[in-house]
Formats: sequence, structure tokens, C-alpha cells
Amino acid sequence: MLADLIQNTLDGLTGGAAYALLAVGFTLIFGVLRRVNLSYGAAIMFGVYFATWTSLNFQVGLAALAALTIAGAVLAGAYVERLCFAPHYRSRGSPRASSGSIAAMVASFALWMQFEEAAILALPKHLYAFPPLHAGEPLRFGQFFLRVEALYLLLAAVAVCALLHTILYRTRFGLAVRAVIDVPVAAQLAGINVSWVFVRIFALASAIGGLAGFLIAASHEQVTPMLGMWATIKGMLAMMLGGLGSLPGAVAGGLVLGLLEAHSQWFFGPQMRDLIAYLLIFALLALRPAWMTRWTSTRSAS
Amino acid sequence: MDEYSIGVLTNIGLFSFLALSAYLLLIAGEMSFGQQAFFGVGAYSGGMLTAIYGVPLPFAALAAMASGALVALLVGLPTLRLRGLYFAMATLAAAEMARILFELLHFQHEIDGELVGPDGTQGFRGIRWVFERGVEPLDYLAIVYSLLVTVLAAFLLVERSRLGVTLRSVGADPELAASIGVNVNRMKLGVAAAAGALAALGGVLYAHHNTYIEPRNFDIMLGVHSLAYALIGGLGTAFGPLLGVLVDLGLLEGTRVFQGYRMIVFGGLVAVLLLFRPRGLLDERVVHWLRARFS
Amino acid sequence: MAALLEIKDLVTAYGRIEALRGVSLQVAQGSITCLLGPNGAGKTTLMMSTAGILRPRSGSIRFAGSEIAGAAPHGIVERGIALVPENRLVFPHMTVLENLQAGAYQRNDRDGIASDLERMFARFPRLKERSAQEGGTLSGGEQQMLSVARALMSRPKLMLMDEPSLGLAPLVVEEIFNIIKELHRDGTTIFLVEQNAHMALKVAHHFYLIEQGRITFSGDPGSLAEDEVIHRAYLGSAKA
Repeated sequence: MLADLIQNTLDGLTGGAAYALLAVGFTLIFGVLRRVNLSYGAAIMFGVYFATWTSLNFQVGLAALAALTIAGAVLAGAYVERLCFAPHYRSRGSPRASSGSIAAMVASFALWMQFEEAAILALPKHLYAFPPLHAGEPLRFGQFFLRVEALYLLLAAVAVCALLHTILYRTRFGLAVRAVIDVPVAAQLAGINVSWVFVRIFALASAIGGLAGFLIAASHEQVTPMLGMWATIKGMLAMMLGGLGSLPGAVAGGLVLGLLEAHSQWFFGPQMRDLIAYLLIFALLALRPAWMTRWTSTRSAS
Repeated sequence: MDEYSIGVLTNIGLFSFLALSAYLLLIAGEMSFGQQAFFGVGAYSGGMLTAIYGVPLPFAALAAMASGALVALLVGLPTLRLRGLYFAMATLAAAEMARILFELLHFQHEIDGELVGPDGTQGFRGIRWVFERGVEPLDYLAIVYSLLVTVLAAFLLVERSRLGVTLRSVGADPELAASIGVNVNRMKLGVAAAAGALAALGGVLYAHHNTYIEPRNFDIMLGVHSLAYALIGGLGTAFGPLLGVLVDLGLLEGTRVFQGYRMIVFGGLVAVLLLFRPRGLLDERVVHWLRARFS
Repeated sequence: MAALLEIKDLVTAYGRIEALRGVSLQVAQGSITCLLGPNGAGKTTLMMSTAGILRPRSGSIRFAGSEIAGAAPHGIVERGIALVPENRLVFPHMTVLENLQAGAYQRNDRDGIASDLERMFARFPRLKERSAQEGGTLSGGEQQMLSVARALMSRPKLMLMDEPSLGLAPLVVEEIFNIIKELHRDGTTIFLVEQNAHMALKVAHHFYLIEQGRITFSGDPGSLAEDEVIHRAYLGSAKA
């Protein structure tokens, strides 16, 4: 019983690390641009499919595949950013153009549809093999197993967090980002080119998403077109769980979601696993604890 | 008219109920990713009533609407104080829970030697009440559209009335509305129930048109689509969401020109459209202009 | 004296509501010019339009001879204009030091920035005490000083100040106006928006009156006592 608990926790942390990466990327865009990017997962899927197509037609190493996934995700992200979000950066005569945020979100949904159909057109089968991250036995610790892929994911999550922390707190760019997150108008008044910050944050978020996508595809060793929706939903759920708009919260939310899923699945099966996660989110939102809703006290979530 | 066209037109009508449901909530200031849940509730409850218990469709439809309204209140009450993305996520979570519950629903009765009823992920087949009575596709199209026209008439009446103005004021600025004495919570719950009933009506009609439903039909994609229809068509009038449905299902599906590329074209169209019309095609300004010209 | 800032027939609107209906005024180089008016008259809209946060619908804003109406805010800062906004708008989740560093964002001269930081701390000793504290924990008066100091970090030629005395105790208000006088002595041109007409007129060289989006009076403080209407309308309501 305890052994199961520990094994599930290990598995949960692995899944959680993936969710954490997705949530971090999502939160970067939401925290800085204050917009919901519904095509985040789809852009990641675009990158993954790009790499998949390449691996099906050429002999490529894993590092190259990772680079291709990230490049594809960044490219797709740039397309989304330019078409959906950039047109609304400069408000027209009113300080907070919230109609722009809805339009941007719906437009990002429209592009999600495009990515999904494009992926299916390029690779029509429901399932494709993706080269494995690690061909070999999982690590053994006594009676417990830890897949090597899990280590990669956890390492990536830690590395990304460290990188983001360094950027945010040790660079001038990071200072600008934090200023934009804090009070966008004041950041503009301090001479920060907010549009320029948005573009770079978007690219960074897309790159992180691409990395997450590669690691997820390579550890599952398969890809499906559902990856887009899956990544978006999980990313949003994890972001919500950790308290909207907070990067450490995104990581925590991702890990908690992963642990919750692993344990729920063990005791109740896959359907209940999802049910419990959604129930938790709904209950938390209904109860509105302070840490979850701090976003609305100073900023707008819509 | 050939059967394919009748089918397309019927679908446009059916999904219009769902789009109007999302639109109603948007007017009241709430963005919901979860109206598809009530669509499903209507489909399942209506289907079970007619297929298992032989309840005539009109009564089953009423019962379906009532259950849609009830479930909507179940979701709407705890989320009353939520706004913006928080509310949207709550509705998404609730809708997904509903879908999973549909997957867990096994309720079959033996009727005339075969099992009838929902069978989890295997779906619910045999919702044939309509076609067992010799109703032709064209007749069903007429039924769907008469109901839709009735609903539209109700919308147009309400929009011109004090209720409609109050509703829009709640959507635009709830604090202001509350300060002049509007019971915002009661309005929101009323709207939630009405929207739930509306979606459920669409659902029961959908179930009887397709004769087969499964939980996968009521997923997030359906919900985001219906929200998108309302936002693209414009929030100035109830014709807005209909326009959204028409553009997607009608133009693209119906013309079959973009076979296989439909979403790429639709997606691109929508994104470009939103650059010029961020508030949708028939937004408040256009509607005011149209009203001024034709009165 | 040449006009450093020249605004002509400026119209700024929120949707269909025109907040500025053709505003024209000039801020002379090296002066302290003041804009007075009741709430809702358009003072903040004018400041925000000049700073580039709002885009005017029509009209012209010329700074040192170049047209800047409609330019992006970072471009305005680049040209040498800094706004100390209404309600301070410090960065509440960043430290005092980081707030000041943000103000110097466009600058690349690290030594210059370092020495400017020292000067700010010398001029505003309370900020030095709290340099590692988050902006949100400061008192109203301290936040106002932080906001002013942050704007100064960009070494502006023109300082726009939107109601710096708002919500502050009389002693603090005096401090703020002493700082304004100091800045003027150091050569910065100041365009000041105030509701506290009494204090403002004590430092201003020239002032304008704005009502409902239009300039209704222009003159120097000496001409004020002669105008009973202004005296009643504004000096009376100056007690916050």
C-alpha cells in the first residue's frame, strides 16, 4: 500500500513536471500580456508534428528533433502573436481595451482550429510513433521504478524555472517584464517598449512549450492530433490550480495536478481521475480562497 | 431540396440554440465555455424519456428544458461571484464533469428484445421516436425552425423591453447596475437557467435528429465553438450568433468547396475578421445604425 | 521664452465621449506652468495624451519643435518627457531601488545611472531608508516621492506632473512643492496639473484653466486675484 503510494507519487511528479512546463508557458503569456492564448497547445502540437514529420522522412537525432519542435512551436507562436495579439497592443483612445482581449482570445481559438486541421492534413493517421527519449530500462530504487524520461522532465522543469528566475531578477529585460506585469501603464511611462516585451515573452513561452511538447512526445513515444487540446486544457488547469498569474504557482499547480491524477487514477481509474481534477478546480473556484484570486484584486482576469 | 442540404440546414438550426445560449450569457457579462453540457443534458434526458419511457417528444422536450435549467442553476449558484476567466474555467470544469458523467452513465432497459438507453462511452442509440412516427427530414426541419423562430421572437421582444436593457446593463457594469437597485445575482441566475433551458432544447432536438448520441459529442470543442459563433456573429442582436453558425456550418460545410480545408479557411477568416471587427459582425454599433436606418 | 511644449486644438475621445475638445496651450522653456480645473475637466486626459498613453483623435502636440501627438509612450520618454502620473502608479511588487532602475530603463550609461541613484537617495533620504522595500508598502507621501524620483531617473527635459498633492497631508504637500521648486532651479521645465490651486499658484509662472475639455482661462498668478469667479470656483475647493 505504501509502496503503491510512493510509486504513484513518483509517476505523479513526472506527469506534474510536464504540466508545470505547460503551465509556466501559459502563465507567461497570461501574466504579461493579460490575454488567454487558446492556441498555446496547438502551436506546441504544430512543433511536435513538424518534428514527427521530419523523423518519418529523415534520420535525425534527438537533439535535432528537440530543436525542430522548439523552432516549430516558436514559429507557430509568432504567427499567432502577430495575427491575434499584436494588433491590439496599442489601445485606440482608451486605456484598457478589454474588447481587444476577447477578440484576441477568439482569434487564437480560430488559429487553434487551423493548426489542428493542418496537422491532420499533413499526417492523417490518428497516431504516429515518436522516437523515444530513452531506449532502455527504467531506473530501479529497490522496488520502485523511475523512468529515465521522468528525470529529463523534472530536470527540464527545474532548469526552466532557474532560467526564468535568472532572467526576471538578474537582467534588465527581466526588470522590464516584471514592471509590465505589475503596472503596465507605469512601465510605459518609464520608457519600456511594452510591445517589444510582449513579442519576446511570447517567443519565450512558445519555446518553453516546444520543449515541453518534445519531452512529452518522446516519453510517450507517440503523438496524436489531440495533443493540442490536451496541452491547452492541462496548462490552463494547472495555471488555475496554482493561482492565476504566478510563475511559482504555475509550477506548484502543475505538480499538484500530476500528483492528483496519478493517485486518483490508481484508486479510481482514468475517468474518475479527470473527474476529480475538474471537481477540485470547480470547488476551489467556487470557494475562492484568497491565494487563488489575488489576480483580480489588482488586475483584471478578463 | 436534397437530403444533404436539409441536413445542413437542420444542423444550423440545432446549433443556433447552443449559440444563442452562449450569447445570452455573454449579454449578461459572463463568458461560458460550458454550454455544451446543457446541450448534452437535454439530449440525454429527452432521449431517455422518449426512447425508454415512450414519453411524447413535446413533453420530453419540456422536461429536457427543465433539467437543463436545473443543472444550469447547479453550476450557476456556486459560481455567482466569479468573473472573467475564473468563471470561464469553472464552466469548463463543470462541462467536462458532465461529459465524464455521461461516460459513466449506463442505463439500459430491454424494449422489444433490444437494449435501449445510454451505454457509457458506447453511446446511446435508438432515439427514433421522431422517425418511428413517419416524420420526414423536411418536416423535422420545419419543427426545428418554428421553434427557433419562436425563440428568436422572444429574444427580440426582450431586447426591446426594460428587461433587455437591464440585462445589458448588468453585463456592461454590474456594480453600476447594483447601485441603481438591480438584483444582479437574481438576474444572473435567471439568465443561467434560461440559457441552460435553451441549450437543452437544442440538445433534445439534436438527439432526435441524429438518433444516436455519445459523450464525445458534447466536448469542449463544441462549447468553444458556440462561444465563438456568438462572438464572431456579434453581440448586438440575437441574429448575431445565428450569423456565426451560418458562416461556419452553412457557407463552408454547405458549399463543400473547402472539403478538408474547412477549418483552415474558417479559422483564417475569423482571425482576419476580428482584426477589423473585434466586437463581431453585428455588434452594438452596427445594430444601432441598422435600426436607425430602418425605422 | 520659447515654448518647449506646444499643444494645438487637441481632441482626445473615449469612444464617442470627447474628453478634450480642442485644447491649446504652451509651456515655456524653463518655466513652471500649471493647469487647473475641476474633476473630470480633462486634466489627466491631457497628461496621458501628451505622454502617449492615449492617442489623440486630432490636433497637434509639438515638443522642442517636433510633432509627437500619437507617438508611442516609450518614444515620448526617449525625447525627454517624463510623466509623474495621477495616483503615483509606483510598482507595488518591486523594490524602491527597482522602481528607480525602471525609470532609467532607456539609459545605457551605468555610471551615470549609479550616480543619479545616489543623488535621488540624497534628495529623498526616506527612499534610501526603504530602498529594499516593496513600493506597495510605502506611505502615500513616500510613494509620491518615489514616483517623482523614478521620472527623474530618465533625466527629462520636461516633467509632467498629474496632481502630485492628491491625498497627501499638508506638510507632505509642502515638501513636494519644495521639490518642484528645486527641480525648476536645476533647469527642468515643469507642466503641473493640480486641483490644489492655492499651492500651485504659489510656484507657477503661468497657468491655464480647463473646464469640460476646453481651456477657459490663461494668465499668470498675478492676474488671479482680479478674477472673482476663478477665486470662488477653485481656491474654495482646494481644501482636500
